[in-house]
Amino acid sequence: MNNVVTTKVKSVYQGIYDNLNNPRNKMVRSKKTKEISMVVLRTVLLFGLCFVILFPTIQQISMALRAPEDVNNPAVIWIPLNWSLMNIKIAAVVLDYTHALLNTLKISVISMLLQIVSTSLAGYAFSRLRFKGSNILFIFVILTIIIPPQALSLQQYLYFKDLNLIGSETSIYLMSGLGMGIRSGIFIYIFRQFFRGLPIELEESAQIDGAGVFRTFWNIMLPNARGALITVGLFAFVWAWNDAYYVKIFEVSTADFPLLTMRLINAAEGMYAALFYTGGLDLIGQDVWENPLFLALISNVAALLMMLPLLIMYLFVQKQFVESIERTGIVG
Amino acid sequence: MKTNKMKKLSYKQQKVVWSIIFLTPWVLGFIFLFAVPFFESLRYSFYELTPKSGEIIKDFIGFENYYYAFNEHVIRNTSFKVELINTTMDAMINLPVLLIFSLFIAVMLNMEFKGRSFVRAIFFIPVILNSAAVASALGGGDSIAAMLEEQGIDKIFDLEFYLLQTGMADFLITFIVDLISRIYSILSLSGVPILLFLASIQSVPKHLYEAAKIEGATAYETFWLITLPNVTPHLITVTVYALVDTFLTSPISEIISSELNHQNWGLSSAMAWVYVSTIIAILALLAVFAKALKIGGSHYE
Repeated sequence: MNNVVTTKVKSVYQGIYDNLNNPRNKMVRSKKTKEISMVVLRTVLLFGLCFVILFPTIQQISMALRAPEDVNNPAVIWIPLNWSLMNIKIAAVVLDYTHALLNTLKISVISMLLQIVSTSLAGYAFSRLRFKGSNILFIFVILTIIIPPQALSLQQYLYFKDLNLIGSETSIYLMSGLGMGIRSGIFIYIFRQFFRGLPIELEESAQIDGAGVFRTFWNIMLPNARGALITVGLFAFVWAWNDAYYVKIFEVSTADFPLLTMRLINAAEGMYAALFYTGGLDLIGQDVWENPLFLALISNVAALLMMLPLLIMYLFVQKQFVESIERTGIVG
Repeated sequence: MKTNKMKKLSYKQQKVVWSIIFLTPWVLGFIFLFAVPFFESLRYSFYELTPKSGEIIKDFIGFENYYYAFNEHVIRNTSFKVELINTTMDAMINLPVLLIFSLFIAVMLNMEFKGRSFVRAIFFIPVILNSAAVASALGGGDSIAAMLEEQGIDKIFDLEFYLLQTGMADFLITFIVDLISRIYSILSLSGVPILLFLASIQSVPKHLYEAAKIEGATAYETFWLITLPNVTPHLITVTVYALVDTFLTSPISEIISSELNHQNWGLSSAMAWVYVSTIIAILALLAVFAKALKIGGSHYE
């Protein structure tokens, strides 16, 4: 009886032992563990980082939706106790939202288009229409990437002052149209890399079919450059939207032509005054607006209002954007 | 008339003509909005400029502006010199971390797994939300921060405070808080570098990976022997971008802008030139370093 059990145990043990020592099973096992641990590690890491990225935005949304009275209610952390749109309403009043949004949209779209035109032309010339000295000129493009705008702003300001363009959005358009807008150098670089990656046969066959240089560019090269166009367009739009530097130097944002970034910065720096002058104070009671946390909350909500259109837009273009990167060959 | 003339030109000559036409806007912009302002600002940095009704009075003062920027300049609780040193040190420390981190993330985002496009989309969000205006609003502005400090409340969500309540050891708390605050700043800077690395990984010929797989290379070996050597030529692009970006978003450029806005034009020009020379010096240093280590050349030649 006892003997039978021991032999059985022994045989089971032997089976496990053999299985453990079988080189083939060993390989399979080690590969499987490696694979699984890789998947777990990757999932944990990516999930954690995604959380870190999304956390501030989610928190802002949750704060925006709570009632102003609950600002420092310690019982409310994530889900609002009293749902309310009051914070959003006040922040919108402070930012002069609809007005500023339309202006920002206009200035971003126009300067994006101008930047695409000027930088794609330059990028094409640098990659496909080469002549003696175009390499030297391209070094200057790199220089425009490296030199900070602060070194140039004074003289630019004086120029625009002479042209009477200070305080008008035309100054921004002029900068974008002449390829000196926000980080235009990088866009030229992207276009150049992209056009260089397109096969030379495309150009040659177009030439044989009798297309001129401009037609080759317009009908053959540009439609093939969709990836670069999307990448550059998105960046140009986003950077123009977020720009607070040029807009401030050239005093583009005025009472008649408010822009989101400047309104937001001014509001954040003097929230109380901003509330007072825009009439936001009338919307809530004194016990609330005397609370500095409430002012901080409103400035948070205002920031959210500024980012929200970008986030919504990104939701729609993110697929093309991520795909375009794959095919852009920005660095190819 | 014009088309007739164009027909007579050879295709090569046409190319030159169109090249000139295509480049005209950029060249105009370069000369008037870049080159001239650049050298003018060098000249201004040796002058004291005072705006007076309709004109600007210039007084030559030699290196006074540079001297002032380095030795006497104070703004709020910091100064130009301190911030310059801090930013340079930060850039030197953060740059390798940023490069390794973004390469690592790019390799991960390049793998096949469920929800990849979703994760990728999230990783580029910081690129979109990276704005000075939003940052200043999230900080609540200086006046609000000061008011909050008066009342003993630093932030709306204070992680350190929560962790202290859990009774964790002090050094652990500082470590965690430090790490988390740095993760976010690195993440927000790493959007474009990840994008560049991802594009460069995708430009690696697929047959190399197939051959490696047939030869039985592990994922680890494939990374070190195929991915890394193919990505290094693009390290320079990424480094230049990351360096310029770090400096552009640093307190130094804020100081320069604020001096510019306060009409201390000579001073701000001098500061801008110090800033430019610092960046160029770092880049030159990196270039020498890269040449010594033979980074940047093609691997398979």
